[in-house]
Amino acid sequence: MAPATGGETTEIAVDCSGITKSYDGVPVLRDISVRFARGTVNVLAGENGAGKSTLFKIISGQVHPDSGALKLFGEPVRRFDARHAQGLGVSIIPQELAPIPDMKVWQNLLIGREKSSPFGLLRRRQMVDEAAAMMESVGLSVDPTLPMKRLNVANTQMIEILKATSRQARIILMDEPTSSLSKRETEQLFRVIRRLRADGACILYTSHRMEEIEEISDSVAIMRDGAIIRHAPTKDLTEHEIITDMVGREITELFPDRTITESVKPVLEVRDLHVSGYNASVSFSVKEGEILGLGGLVGAGRSEMLEAIYGMRRATGQVTLDGRDLPLGHMQESIKRGIAMVPEDRKRSGILTSLSILDNVSLPHLNTFTSSGGILENAKRRTQSLDVLKRTRVAYASLGQKVGHLSGGNQQKVALARWLVTGTPRLLILDEPTRGIDVGARSELYRLINDLAAQGVAVLLASSDMPELINLSHRVLVIREGRIMGELKKNELEQETILRLAMGRSSNANQ
Amino acid sequence: MQTNSITSDAASAAVPAGISARQVGRFALRYALVIILALFLVTLAVSNHSFLTFSNMNVILIQVAANALLATGATFVILTGGIDLSVGSIVGLSGVVAALFAQDDGAITCTEAVVLGVLAGTAIGAFNGLLVAFARVPPFVATLGNMTVASGLAFVASDGQPISGLSDQFLALSGTIFGISIPVAVMIVVVVVAWIILARTKFGMHIYAVGGNPQAARVAGVNLRANRFAVYTISGLLAGVAGVILAARATAGIATNGTGYELNAIAAAVIGGISLAGGRGSIIGTVFGFLIIGVLDNGLNIINVSPFYQLIVKGLIIIGAVFVDSVMNRSDD
Repeated sequence: MAPATGGETTEIAVDCSGITKSYDGVPVLRDISVRFARGTVNVLAGENGAGKSTLFKIISGQVHPDSGALKLFGEPVRRFDARHAQGLGVSIIPQELAPIPDMKVWQNLLIGREKSSPFGLLRRRQMVDEAAAMMESVGLSVDPTLPMKRLNVANTQMIEILKATSRQARIILMDEPTSSLSKRETEQLFRVIRRLRADGACILYTSHRMEEIEEISDSVAIMRDGAIIRHAPTKDLTEHEIITDMVGREITELFPDRTITESVKPVLEVRDLHVSGYNASVSFSVKEGEILGLGGLVGAGRSEMLEAIYGMRRATGQVTLDGRDLPLGHMQESIKRGIAMVPEDRKRSGILTSLSILDNVSLPHLNTFTSSGGILENAKRRTQSLDVLKRTRVAYASLGQKVGHLSGGNQQKVALARWLVTGTPRLLILDEPTRGIDVGARSELYRLINDLAAQGVAVLLASSDMPELINLSHRVLVIREGRIMGELKKNELEQETILRLAMGRSSNANQ
Repeated sequence: MQTNSITSDAASAAVPAGISARQVGRFALRYALVIILALFLVTLAVSNHSFLTFSNMNVILIQVAANALLATGATFVILTGGIDLSVGSIVGLSGVVAALFAQDDGAITCTEAVVLGVLAGTAIGAFNGLLVAFARVPPFVATLGNMTVASGLAFVASDGQPISGLSDQFLALSGTIFGISIPVAVMIVVVVVAWIILARTKFGMHIYAVGGNPQAARVAGVNLRANRFAVYTISGLLAGVAGVILAARATAGIATNGTGYELNAIAAAVIGGISLAGGRGSIIGTVFGFLIIGVLDNGLNIINVSPFYQLIVKGLIIIGAVFVDSVMNRSDD
């Protein structure tokens, strides 16, 4: 079943046979039998909720399978835990970053592998040098004595990856390592991955980006509903086959046809918006029914701009909505005037994972659902929430279900659905709306966004996903260091043009 | 994180333009406490001749010695994201235990009495550690419970009476060694060792990691349980030492000797910039913290401010310190 990447002599690093796992009687993994060889990069493809994360957790010893056997390097592992897994060289890079923000970069890199003198004192200089060498080997230029919290998301991610791969890792599990990386950083990561592969490591990798799968992987294992439905060498598969297998149905097209609205009425007008922390200001406007894309590299200042318009972040300048001034820094006023925000970091500011779906959806509108006596009118709250969940096609068990238990795609739909409970917004702000979301949910979100625009909603869309930006936007502004580098009309939208603008003239775009 | 790097870039780009009013404001805010304290000290030194004297400075150091030990223990615990409310009661318990064995007619030597007193404190600390690290009882609850337990044990052991009639040898613990008061010498040794551990050893690095991001620390192979257990044990041990020293100074083991001391210790750490969220701060800050509290207590006493008002002042200073810390961190975002 394993692809013949290294001939008959390949040593099998990971060997699962008949692994099953259920949570509360719901099967998450069904009879997983798959083998991955040393010195290969293997992509686990599948929609969120297909069971990829659970399989990772089993291989890394965080979760015990209900039945079945796991062999690592031919050795059966029983009574396995995270510490044993580390001892065997299993290293996992979770999708959620785990830096220690208040510690230095070198400390983050070398924690758990300190070097001490015979007196028990740390050999600090040696450790700093070692950290610098580790970073240099992958072309990362970050001062190792900086506090971790000063790094941007991409560099933080690279440090995390370095940390995990440098401890004699022989089996490396990466859960969507590129979801917050720009093209250039992704290249850096691939360099690391190729080196690890050459050193004989077995790499398991999840990604939703098709072009990456083709570029980096030797084999693809496609998961759906907790089962591996196909495992084949990458060269034997087409993108179309992978997607169809993942989704279990044909996706005729990922992107809907853009509806062109004739309206010229501007909804949002921004003049000289100066976001604190940047030496630049921006002016632009968005018309009724227009999807204005914001392109740029990670850390270009797009999120900050969006947050400033919504009122989350300090800024100066003039913003008008439907011709009337919008006071900056007042989120409640923004909401009242019809601005809806789906922020970048879903778990931190988009949804409240520990609350129910009902509470999440109705939270911004509790005033509407409160009787004159100050008591919540739950019947009304439920019917309206049910209606909007149906319209946004959220897959859920009950209104009382915790949002944290939903898949990423459904969580994002909830984050959007909450703004549609009391009619449609005037301006919809979307910051990386499909990060870490599977193809099926993504195409549904695209349709939803397009439909809203067709109804006259002005949309501001920041995205690092080029196909998304190009196929969804009517117009794109490319941002770099908080400045508008260029404006591209629909017929000028090309990946290369956007990237060139995003990176400025110098190639020194990062840090 | 993403925004931080940008802000710093922009800030460094703006430096040539000169110092902005905002930076001045930030500076003033950051050092507000120090500035206010300095003004207070200068006024005091000018208006009152008994304040700025060598003997008074020595008195201050002796007075802060016990709190310094407790604050050092609190620093270890708070850096891991925990809290230890039991140290005040431990001071009473270990003082009583040491005093019981250090009575004149005792067959037990002074050293043994000291060791037993310190052991009593260490045992309570280790019990805290067991509860927090292994039984997963929240630190606030575990140490609050043991605060009462230790206090009860001290009352039982002393029958509610002061244990006096202590051997001269034991009482000599509040004397001097090489011209330095023994409590002060102990304080200096403890602070220096604590600084080395926290800033220069693997154990110290792990303590910061546990408080900074337990999940990341665990993934990196840091033993969360062992580190959590260790810091509560250290806190108990230092409280035990403080209890013995205080018993010698008071010439008696008294169960209520340390009542309320835990708050002074936590206050010193917090004033010194140890974040209650864990993972941030340094022992140097704690030293400033307990010195500020000590100088303030002493100064307010000298100018005859009622102890009742002193409480109010101390409380406001703690709030002020935490407020400044939170404001500074907010503008870091």
